[in-house]
Amino acid sequence: MKALARLDLTDAATFPSRRVEEWKYSDLKRFLREAPEPSGTAVVGAPGPFYDLGGDAVVFANGRPVGVKDYIASGDQTLRLRFISDAVGTGHTAAARIVARPGARLLLLETHEGKGSAYVAHNKVEIDVAADAEVIRIVLTDEPADAISVAEAEVRLEAGGRYRQTIVATGAKLQRHETRLRHGAEGADARVDGLYLLNGARHSDQTSVIDHVSPNGTTSQLIKGVVRDEARGVFQGKILVQKGADETDARMGHHGLIASDRGEIDVKPELIIYADEVQCAHGATVGTLDESALFYMQQRGVSADEARALLTHAFLIEVVDRIEHEGAREVVREWLTARL
Amino acid sequence: MAIVQETIDTVAELERYKYGFTTDVEQEFAPKGLNPDIIRFISEKKGEPEWMLEWRLAAYERWLAMEEPTWAAVKYDSVDYQDLYYYAAPVKKEGPKSLDEVDPELLAVYEKLGIPLKEQEVLAGVQGAPKVAVDAVFDSVSVVTTFKEELAKAGVIFMPISEALREYPDLVRQYLGTVVPVSDNYFAALNSAVFSDGSFVYIPPGVRCPMELSTYFRINASQTGQFERTLIIADKGSYVSYLEGCTAPMRDENQLHAAVVEIIALDDAEVKYSTVQNWYPGDAEGKGGIYNFVTKRADCRGDRSKVSWTQVETGSAVTWKYPSCILKGEESSGEFYSIAITNGHQQADTGTKMLHLGKNSRSRIIAKTVSAGKSDSTYRGLVSIHPKATGVRNFTQCDSLLIGKECGAHTIPYIEVRNGSAQLEHEATTTRLSEAQLFYAQQRGLSEEEAVALLVNGFVRDVLQELPMEFAVEAQKLVAISLEGSVG
Repeated sequence: MKALARLDLTDAATFPSRRVEEWKYSDLKRFLREAPEPSGTAVVGAPGPFYDLGGDAVVFANGRPVGVKDYIASGDQTLRLRFISDAVGTGHTAAARIVARPGARLLLLETHEGKGSAYVAHNKVEIDVAADAEVIRIVLTDEPADAISVAEAEVRLEAGGRYRQTIVATGAKLQRHETRLRHGAEGADARVDGLYLLNGARHSDQTSVIDHVSPNGTTSQLIKGVVRDEARGVFQGKILVQKGADETDARMGHHGLIASDRGEIDVKPELIIYADEVQCAHGATVGTLDESALFYMQQRGVSADEARALLTHAFLIEVVDRIEHEGAREVVREWLTARL
Repeated sequence: MAIVQETIDTVAELERYKYGFTTDVEQEFAPKGLNPDIIRFISEKKGEPEWMLEWRLAAYERWLAMEEPTWAAVKYDSVDYQDLYYYAAPVKKEGPKSLDEVDPELLAVYEKLGIPLKEQEVLAGVQGAPKVAVDAVFDSVSVVTTFKEELAKAGVIFMPISEALREYPDLVRQYLGTVVPVSDNYFAALNSAVFSDGSFVYIPPGVRCPMELSTYFRINASQTGQFERTLIIADKGSYVSYLEGCTAPMRDENQLHAAVVEIIALDDAEVKYSTVQNWYPGDAEGKGGIYNFVTKRADCRGDRSKVSWTQVETGSAVTWKYPSCILKGEESSGEFYSIAITNGHQQADTGTKMLHLGKNSRSRIIAKTVSAGKSDSTYRGLVSIHPKATGVRNFTQCDSLLIGKECGAHTIPYIEVRNGSAQLEHEATTTRLSEAQLFYAQQRGLSEEEAVALLVNGFVRDVLQELPMEFAVEAQKLVAISLEGSVG
């Protein structure tokens, strides 16, 4: 296997094709043969879906920071991290760095807001969770169907650090959320969830690599998704338990529904384990909406479309219910309901 | 408590690898190395038709252009393909007509291995035991095939593939390479170029094969590779159960075994293929042992056809093996039951592929992996559902058990669903042997090793149950032997 050079939008040689194992189901090279022209400036318009929750904001418009691009949290804080794209056929890269200092509690509300068409966005964020700190990261995406969007998050957990992630993806021509998380010290605790709801020919790829290098770490992962029309949902989850990472407890689950004839779901849940005092499990299912439940609801006067929406909602909402922060949970719930 | 007693006895009586002896039979070799002349030599030696030689040479050309795959989670010193003998055969004294004429040295080998070659001594001393027909392959050639006459009465063809190429060339030509194409992968291409023997099975329409068929592979000579080719054709409505076993001497060199097995199941046919793989795994320091790089694939062409793979993998230094099913027929079904046990420095990357192309096709995968010592074991599998395959069902379960601090167990499944009506479930777990259960067993008087063997036998029970009787007992013993020395 070839080592994968870090993606760099200015260098087409770094664009992975499906021959690169980690990009098997998201063939970036197919859609992007040459480096795109750099995007011009963009105006920050509407205040974004999390505006009502207040807090500080770090904003990137077409890759350019509007104000600061790094953020250090101490105490109890809320940060809205907004990646705004407004471009036609051009590309841009943004990079943010977030630090939660020891004992801090940060609610990180990340949005990928896109206007225009056929742009290429590459948004990177590094998150350091210091000892006993907690970060709750929620990611909402709203991008044009012909955009290409690759988001990368590098998360490092120190001793006793807690990290909670929920990605809510609606896809794009090619959309990928890659999370690389490292349990760098003892007793860290991570929840790395996601959901996808895809229409048309949209594509969403949620890829995570969770690396347990220290003992007593916990990882819990629940991914749920629904694809309609010709959409394609991808989940690749890798959990690594290195030698010495004893007492690791890692659980991963993926459940997908294909609600059309031509939808596609590809799943690759990996467990790579080199320590023996561990409990690791993964489960993956792919199926379709329960015909008998649909029939039951229609019999009781609910229209077929409504019944489908209700069942889809009930299926996906489990992921939203796991968000610990009540205010954020409600925003996500409404946001999702509006898209069913 | 019979099982416990058996486990205890087994552990007590058996040394690490009891099949590690070598036999001094007079052998002839082709010169070392691989080139078109060697291929011509093999083809001529086998008296093959011209098309077969061309087929081999074409395969060789393809092989030259291919690169050895490196994606598997195994590490090994690369093989020098020019430093191997591609043909080694016991010297024949005017082709034996019956068992009596077979070199007694050879018969002794099989006796020592516990393989019943004498038809009247089937499963020694057991009255009414089921008959098993055996094709014994020794290095590059088949030395004897039993029960041929009785099978012929039922219309079943069971013979070395080299013989089938002479006697039924059209049948072989029609099917050979249709499931595993010449250029399928590096080792399959190599095998296509140089295979020297293997078994050929044809079950005519509507025939239930009257006995189990079995092939027993033995590598004996040093510095040789074994490349056997098995082709099984189950015609409409037929049934066959096929067993495969293998052993090799203990040597401190690595020997290559690159086999290809092709199965074709037509309408309503069923094939059950069971393997107990016990190649020499190398010594405690990881020196020597077999590189087992095989391609096994079944083509469920017919509607309602069924192929079931059951494997017990305990041997080999490095294993790279994915018995697969192409489920083309409507309502066809594929099953894969696997136990992979690694100990010492063994590495195994094994699993299956279930390719669903036919409507309402079904598959079931049960894989149990046990890693001990400093070994590494990977389950790698693919379940793929084609857009036109409606109503597909799949269930997959992969469980890994870790014994000790220095081993690894990995699960890498690929699930690709392109049809909304499919229902697919996959679950996997990785745990270590439960302290509580071990303690419980030891409290009741079992030693630590006996307790481990008992618990592991319980862990792999779902798969053991799928094995034919003859193999189940052997496999159970193997489980215990393979784990010997893994605790403490």
